[in-house]
Amino acid sequence: MSTITRIAREEWRLWLRSRVVVAAALIVAVLIAATSMLTAGRIADEQSQRTQQQIAAEQTFFAQPDRHPHRMVHYGHYAFRPPPPLAVFEPGVDAVTGQSIFLEGHRQNTAMFADTKAAADLGGFAALTPASLYQLLLPLLLIVLGHAMFLRERESGTLAVMLAQGQSGTKLALGKAAALLAVIAIFMVPLVFVAVYSISLGESALAAGSMVAGYFVYLCIWGAIVLAASILLKQRSVSLGALIFVWLFAALIVPRFAINASSAAIDAPGKIESDLVMLAEQRKLGDGHNAADPAFMQLQAEVLEQYEVETIEELPINWRGVVASYSEAELTDLLNSYAEERMGLEASQSRIFGLFGLASPTIAISSASRTLAGTDLATHHRFLRESEALRFGFVQALNEKHATELDYAADINRNADAEASRRARVNASAWQVLDEFRFEPDGADARLERALLSFVILLAWLTAAGGIVYGAARRVRL
Amino acid sequence: MTSPLEARSLVLVREGNTVLDGVSFTAEQGEIFALLGGNGAGKSSTLLTFLGFLDPSGGEVLVNGTSVTSDIAAARNAIAYLPEAASLYGHMTAYENLDYFLDLAGKSASKDEIDAALDRVALPQEARTRRLQSYSKGMRQKTAIALALLRETPILLLDEPTSGLDPVAIDEFHDLVKTLAEGGQTVLMVTHDVYGACQVADRVGLLRHGKLVGSFAAENGKRIDTETVHAAFAERQAV
Repeated sequence: MSTITRIAREEWRLWLRSRVVVAAALIVAVLIAATSMLTAGRIADEQSQRTQQQIAAEQTFFAQPDRHPHRMVHYGHYAFRPPPPLAVFEPGVDAVTGQSIFLEGHRQNTAMFADTKAAADLGGFAALTPASLYQLLLPLLLIVLGHAMFLRERESGTLAVMLAQGQSGTKLALGKAAALLAVIAIFMVPLVFVAVYSISLGESALAAGSMVAGYFVYLCIWGAIVLAASILLKQRSVSLGALIFVWLFAALIVPRFAINASSAAIDAPGKIESDLVMLAEQRKLGDGHNAADPAFMQLQAEVLEQYEVETIEELPINWRGVVASYSEAELTDLLNSYAEERMGLEASQSRIFGLFGLASPTIAISSASRTLAGTDLATHHRFLRESEALRFGFVQALNEKHATELDYAADINRNADAEASRRARVNASAWQVLDEFRFEPDGADARLERALLSFVILLAWLTAAGGIVYGAARRVRL
Repeated sequence: MTSPLEARSLVLVREGNTVLDGVSFTAEQGEIFALLGGNGAGKSSTLLTFLGFLDPSGGEVLVNGTSVTSDIAAARNAIAYLPEAASLYGHMTAYENLDYFLDLAGKSASKDEIDAALDRVALPQEARTRRLQSYSKGMRQKTAIALALLRETPILLLDEPTSGLDPVAIDEFHDLVKTLAEGGQTVLMVTHDVYGACQVADRVGLLRHGKLVGSFAAENGKRIDTETVHAAFAERQAV
């Protein structure tokens, strides 16, 4: 057995014989195991439910009877975002952004059904996720285990005896580092299990492996910080206090400050504020339900000229359907421009927040974690864009049916009597225009590419912390 | 012939204070040399320079003729060091402590060899599988001595070795040190115990404010006269 391994083994012997350490480690282990199982079960349920709900929504849409096509535009449809497999470890922004959208004509609704109800049902316990435990709790455990690794030897005089046996400070530090590394390796086991489970749910091995590697690097950073404090500081209480402060700073203070700073740097109005501002511009576009709205006079002239007729009654197509289609396209352009602007601002805020990883490895790992899991803001934005494309697609397809399959005269007289109403319907087979929607996260390559900056920041942290440990270990004195 | 331990005009300045000021002495093979002095005289600092834990500000210290600063590893391999607190791990048994520290020193010993060393220091059999946190100071000291025995180094450095021991344990300890010296080990011990130093040492150096101010040697097979040394110690302390 090498000297480094022997030093690590003896550190473990001390920990295993300390009730406090064993109790702390057990509490963390149980918490991780319980949280992983609860989260995995919950996410697996949600994944199954949302997929089923998506299918059910489509079947319900298809099963609608013969109707006026514009009634189907307002009947609407749902788009669901099932949690990706790695959400069993990192639910990410899922709980706050909402997971489904009601799609209907003339509107871009906000995503809804965030998970707060589920969290409340479990007395808030669901708010604890495996990812948050790895990001916040495990560094604390490393602090408890390692804050006195060197100081204990120095204070008890055993450091002198160890060095007097011919060992260098570097070897002692490597031995202590190996002991912490073994702790980290053991606590990686639950994450490895979760990663394997996510692969069984369809996740790519590259993304799952990168997640494991990212957290390993993150915990190694904390291990190095803890070891450096233990070597450089002179008293156990000072070391513990300093490390707790660093933990508070990195895990709680900087992230909160980063949120405020990114919000202050880029003022992004919420959806409701955007909608209010947008209303004025929306009115200028005209009311798509009123084909006689002056806003459509230009369109009317162009269409009449195109079909070489004098009146809308002479048109071979339904003028009201043409107006609905034109109005929807104009409105969607406006809605999209606001949505893109808002998402751009949110993405910029997210980038600024990510740069705070330079001040806190916890931010770097949380950014990388959400991105790799496909539960980040960028994935949510893609869901919004894809669900909007779905909405626009089926609304315009229905408007097309309105324009081409429904007689204008029957349409304008649809409220005359029951028979008139029946004549202003199209066959239910027309509802097949709805595309099947199955939201998938980006491929592993794309997610890894997005997480690259966070990984670079994490590696920079590890290099810096490791360098400090090495430099301090070379100068170990009694 | 090269002395196992030699200090040449050793000067040590720490945080602006002169701890050692031109100290010179040698300790020969099989000799017990005691550095006697009060608190803050620089005794422990002298030991630590031989281990390379403190770098001399002037002069040099040599172990087996080689400067410690030029080859710390060689010095530490030649020396067994017994710190004042007999610093070993309280959460380990005597067997575990000895096995671990021997491993760190690059040595190995069988259980029989460890038992033989513990027999020599008279550590009770029943205590050997108990954790050291339940040991008395004397028992810890014996375990630490056993480590020194097992390392089989030619040089032994002892820092206040009898501090906190009862009279019987002190006598046992002195006997053991004498036996080691008779076996050829060079022993440098620092102590403020005048009586103990005179009982066990072949030579006694008197250290005062970092300077070696007196030296006494046993002659004609007699121990060093305690009264003489005590008088010199008390006089110097009063200065």
